[in-house]
Amino acid sequence: MTGLRDALLTRDETRLPGRRDEDWRWTDLRGTLRPMPVLSEAVQPLAPFDAPQGVQVRRFAAPATAGTAEASLSVAAGETLVLLDRVEAGEGPYARDLALHITLGEGATLHRLVLAADSAEAVSMSLTTVALAAGATLHQTVLATGAKRQRIATTVAHPGGGAHARLDGAYLLSGARHSDQTTILDHRGPGGSSEQLIRGVAADQGRGVFQGRITVAEGADGTDARLKHNALLLSGRAEIDAKPELEIYADDVACAHGNTVGALDAEALFYAMSRGIPEAEARLMLVEAFIGEIVERIGAPALQDAARAFLADGLEALRR
Amino acid sequence: MAADQDTVDTVAALAGEKYAHGFVTDIEQEFAERGLNTDVIRFISAKKDEPQWLLDWRLEAYERWLALDEPDWARVHYPKIDYQDLYYYAAPKQKAGPQSLDEVDPELLATYAKLGIPLKEQAFLAGVQGSPRYAVDAVFDSVSVVTTFKAELAKAGVIFCPLSEAVREHPELVRKYLGSVVPVSDNYFACLNSAVFSEGSFVYVPPGVRCPMELSTYFRINALNTGQFERTLIIADAGSYVSYLEGCTAPMRDENQLHAAVVELVALDDAEIKYSTVQNWYPGDAEGKGGIYNFVTKRADCRGARSKVSWTQVETGSAITWKYPSCILRGDGSSGEFYSIAITNGRQQADTGTKMIHLGANTRSRIIAKGISAGHSSSTYRGLVSVHPKATGARNFTQCDSLLIGKTCAAHTVPYVEARNANAQLEHEATTTRLSEEQLFYVMQRGLSQEEAVQLLVNGFVREVLQELPMEFAVEAQKLVAVSLEGSVG
Repeated sequence: MTGLRDALLTRDETRLPGRRDEDWRWTDLRGTLRPMPVLSEAVQPLAPFDAPQGVQVRRFAAPATAGTAEASLSVAAGETLVLLDRVEAGEGPYARDLALHITLGEGATLHRLVLAADSAEAVSMSLTTVALAAGATLHQTVLATGAKRQRIATTVAHPGGGAHARLDGAYLLSGARHSDQTTILDHRGPGGSSEQLIRGVAADQGRGVFQGRITVAEGADGTDARLKHNALLLSGRAEIDAKPELEIYADDVACAHGNTVGALDAEALFYAMSRGIPEAEARLMLVEAFIGEIVERIGAPALQDAARAFLADGLEALRR
Repeated sequence: MAADQDTVDTVAALAGEKYAHGFVTDIEQEFAERGLNTDVIRFISAKKDEPQWLLDWRLEAYERWLALDEPDWARVHYPKIDYQDLYYYAAPKQKAGPQSLDEVDPELLATYAKLGIPLKEQAFLAGVQGSPRYAVDAVFDSVSVVTTFKAELAKAGVIFCPLSEAVREHPELVRKYLGSVVPVSDNYFACLNSAVFSEGSFVYVPPGVRCPMELSTYFRINALNTGQFERTLIIADAGSYVSYLEGCTAPMRDENQLHAAVVELVALDDAEIKYSTVQNWYPGDAEGKGGIYNFVTKRADCRGARSKVSWTQVETGSAITWKYPSCILRGDGSSGEFYSIAITNGRQQADTGTKMIHLGANTRSRIIAKGISAGHSSSTYRGLVSVHPKATGARNFTQCDSLLIGKTCAAHTVPYVEARNANAQLEHEATTTRLSEEQLFYVMQRGLSQEEAVQLLVNGFVREVLQELPMEFAVEAQKLVAVSLEGSVG
């Protein structure tokens, strides 16, 4: 799926996916790694640090040149895990490819927050696969500030049977940063539900990409799947690309997707300014409110705090 | 939600199961030799008495076609087409250039009468007062049989004739515009069409003229193992208006037949083109045997400021549909519309949608696509809305809804959005209730249920589009209106 892994391991840049590959049309890795970097070390999750009560924290440090890592995680039936994944920025250029395979047992719950901070010159890919059992609940929120090329992909195998998946995300892009959030939600059995809300902001020459595919297999009746992507373009040189897909093979379903791209609401901006708030400040306020909704949807309070702090940094970068 | 019984019945009656146009006209025809090579292209060109430049154009297209690969990205599956096993030209034998209807083979006239296409001008002139009139270009396999109302249209300055006639009579116009919207090597099927195109309509509406009647072309595939490669070119000069309709049918056969058309529309300053299609090619039987492969490239270039192009399509036929009528919104303030109802049944596969390319400032586009699939069919909406950096103030609204009837069919939605201007507003909607809360509320407080209210509103909207069609087309399309939108998925 991420393609980068192959290329890094074989040092063969022709294996990098490019814009001619349907799933990579807006996240072209061709030519971004020249010459192909030598693997420095495998990216190892570091020991937990300052973990708030009941929260597991995993840090992924940036490799010196390039690294790949693959890990798996399972939450036993009926258990609840609150997980904070911090993907940390290094300096300068590096390439990394992370893969995480999560299994949720029957009735298990996972609250996961991914904070993806990468350097502006990084090529950073990550893939999370999640297998849900009946009655399991997945709440995932991805917050990203982009990289030279950044993709955070999540695929969910959804068995139906009362399981619920929520995949939320937000990106805040400044400079020439790129960020791609890709989700595949695969409803394989009857009686499942999923919802996705992705909000994005691209300033300067930022480029935000969202690809979301919902598939509902034959027999997965009673599926309720909803997806929404809203993006704001803050500059004439920024770009937003979106592809919300539905692939439906069952007739008794309620599936919907919505996608909007636009500028900040001129009326709201005018209102704020008429109250004496300088324009630059008013813009940030509106952006903060726009992205803030994603944070408010986070179920675990400890994660909410971490998300707020991360977003504050992201907004700070927009101000500069 | 599942569809209600009414909907199931309506769709069953509509698609696939009763194909009323499936007869064959037994008529003597002449063919080009089977297969495709430069000799066949020279043969077609010679048959049409074409100038050297056009022959060269065809041959160059053929060269390029050989270097192209058949596209495989669409969600349609079919066995590999043997392009050497087709006839690229078939024409009913007749005396050269019939001057009036009296000289046309009565067998052909009977065919069109059976299809319900009026070719007699007086039938309409002497008809009920106020009945709509429209001019018809009837294309039978590779040639145009007759074009009606030419004289009357000429009085208004409108040129409406078969493309091959336009090549002879108006070479300067054809040369200027042919291939200017869909370049020769745009895609595999368009390139093939450029090499072997046989017939199609040519329309030129001069500046400031509102075309006095609806223009239409009726395409009929009759001959066995024959591909139809029509090419239509419509130019609306500054400030003009034209409404054009096309209809398509073919006999029921067990073999698949290829239809690869190219339609080019050019709208200059303040011009408006309304292009409507009722596509009812033979869809194949319930087991997927036979049917037309419909691989069509349709594109409009809104070249002038404030120009407008509106595509309306009702797609019920064809075994495979691969079709994306598009608008290039080049002129400032130009607008494009795409209204589509696509119904698939049996083993039909449709991958259809539109592209709206916003290049100019304040360009607007609107996409309303309704897909309905039943039986073992698959229907895909695939669309692109792209806003370029100079398209300040661009607006797009897209809504695509799908309805599945039965457990074995599939519906897909693949919209692509690319925004590169901070002052553009793009919306993609998939839920019916969002259409207009206010209207819903109004209708519901009159005592209708939400379902009835949604039906009423959407039907009202569809009817508004269908009303633009002339009677025959509207009657056929009207049946689709009854299809409820209950249980729509994005």
